[in-house]
Amino acid sequence: MIYVENLRKEFKKVVKEPGLKGSIKSFFKPKNEIITAVDDISFHVPKGEILGFIGPNGAGKSTVIKMLTGILTPTSGKCEIGGQIPYKNRKNYVKEIGVVFGQRTQLWWDLALRETYTVLKEIYEVDDEQYKKRMAFLNEVLELDSFITSPVRTLSLGQRMRADIAASLLHSPKVLFLDEPTIGLDVVVKDNIRNAIKAINEEQQTTVILTTHDLQDVENLCDRIVMIDKGNKVFDGGIGELKSKYGQQRELKFVPTDFKAAESLDYKREFNLTDDDIIIENDGHIISVTFNSDKVSVEKMLSYTLSVTHVNDINVSDADIEEIIKDIYKSGVSPSA
Amino acid sequence: MRKILRIYKPFTHAGFLLAAQYRVNFIFFVFGDIIRCFISYFLWHAVFTSGGNNTFMGFSEVDMTVYIFISFLTGIVAYSDGSYIVGEEIRDGNIAMRLIKPIRFDLAFLFQELGERTVTAMIIFVPMMAGVEIYKFVVTGAVGFNIWCFLLYLVSLILSYLINFYFNVCYGYSAFVLKNLWGSNLLKECIVNFLSGGIVPLAFMPAGLGFVLNLLPFASLTYIPVMIYLGMYDVPTILMSLGLQVFWLVFFIFLQRIIWNACVRRMSVQGG
Repeated sequence: MIYVENLRKEFKKVVKEPGLKGSIKSFFKPKNEIITAVDDISFHVPKGEILGFIGPNGAGKSTVIKMLTGILTPTSGKCEIGGQIPYKNRKNYVKEIGVVFGQRTQLWWDLALRETYTVLKEIYEVDDEQYKKRMAFLNEVLELDSFITSPVRTLSLGQRMRADIAASLLHSPKVLFLDEPTIGLDVVVKDNIRNAIKAINEEQQTTVILTTHDLQDVENLCDRIVMIDKGNKVFDGGIGELKSKYGQQRELKFVPTDFKAAESLDYKREFNLTDDDIIIENDGHIISVTFNSDKVSVEKMLSYTLSVTHVNDINVSDADIEEIIKDIYKSGVSPSA
Repeated sequence: MRKILRIYKPFTHAGFLLAAQYRVNFIFFVFGDIIRCFISYFLWHAVFTSGGNNTFMGFSEVDMTVYIFISFLTGIVAYSDGSYIVGEEIRDGNIAMRLIKPIRFDLAFLFQELGERTVTAMIIFVPMMAGVEIYKFVVTGAVGFNIWCFLLYLVSLILSYLINFYFNVCYGYSAFVLKNLWGSNLLKECIVNFLSGGIVPLAFMPAGLGFVLNLLPFASLTYIPVMIYLGMYDVPTILMSLGLQVFWLVFFIFLQRIIWNACVRRMSVQGG
């Protein structure tokens, strides 16, 4: 459905020197700098998949989305969606897609919400019967009824987002792009929106690409994730894969009955570990050991611990996805990793 | 053509609703301008009284008064927000939301603004026209209303609006380069107002300058329609002037398209 090959986007940026003098200087003689926002990204998305697009701020997520939706023209590389090239013949292409930018709205700010839908109905040439059916469906999943006659400027952010998503789906697009659809929403509304996205995806096998900073979105919705950082793709695969690839961190926590015995535990020597592989914290009551499960198995850790000391309580926790991604963002993994 | 109308008609409807919502705002806006008109009127009144002549460069005092008010009316009805709206959408990046719709950017704006203009015209056109004609009747004692001049004026007025719209949209695209248009917009309005005869009739200009200004697109915005309304033009001049208006309209439509195509390829959307 979506093919992206070696996509690249460069921006020209005027470099300003600080201060008034710098401003005047760059007014007459602007210095340009070329910034590569997206550097050689390739991936492909089959029909009906929900793809999560994640990465830290400024990684180039939105730029990719803008190229895929035909707003920006790539500097080089190819993207093809449903057999069409977005930036060529834009008017024809955008009939097939729906787009929501979480930070912007496509609704008419000063008009009743209903008016926006009437305008969209004509723009996309949706016939009356189809329109009725579609509105009924969208109403059901997004619950628009209670505010459809209110002016858009009076809607809450959650209502507005639901209305925006509905607006992008009125013409039953084959692909739906969601750029941070849950930004700034509370937990309940987020959950509603996630359920709606799922329902929409199932209903017509709509392919969904979404960018987000909320990893709950990713865990609940996405079949697959593509992670980018500094314009490069750093990961592409399922969530299980992400966890097994990067999620070697395990945390062992226990409350020893005999603290002296516990202090004689020497994991580093026992398993030949370096400082990078293990972190031990002892607050005088609970001992927590974070270790790399690639270097030493959970089983060995447990049996060694229990052979030295008796415990009142012990548990081993899986690294959660949030931790993994935080680690990746911070350390800035190389693309080959 | 019919398809275009069907797709863009809702924009007109939306523009209509928008203008109706902000009508109080609009009335204040117009009220300020009407005061300016009266200042202009008293200024010219003083000129005619002190000069002792009945006519000044071919304009009688009545002509001048009608000129002031009709050029004001023309300016209001043919006003276009194009440069401001286009510039603003480019500045804040909301232009992206237009690009994801299967519509032509210029037509969507045009039809929306037509809706707004209709409301404006409904509020102001009839009372102003009636006021001017009543004034003419009271001062000259004869009915000076010429239906042909009026109808030709309407045609010229519509052309004037369309030229103004496309000119402003072209201008608004400079936001792709300048990023913020507020200051240059003020400058533009000032210059255009002067060059289009909104302040002083172009007939008052020195011959050479007047000739050039008559050919420039700005004359098409205010001066031509008003002169037609005043009945100052004979038939050949009217035809030539309307032809000139059509020429400038076509020119700006094409210019707009060229600039747009060039810009869209090099666009960067501001703000996330």
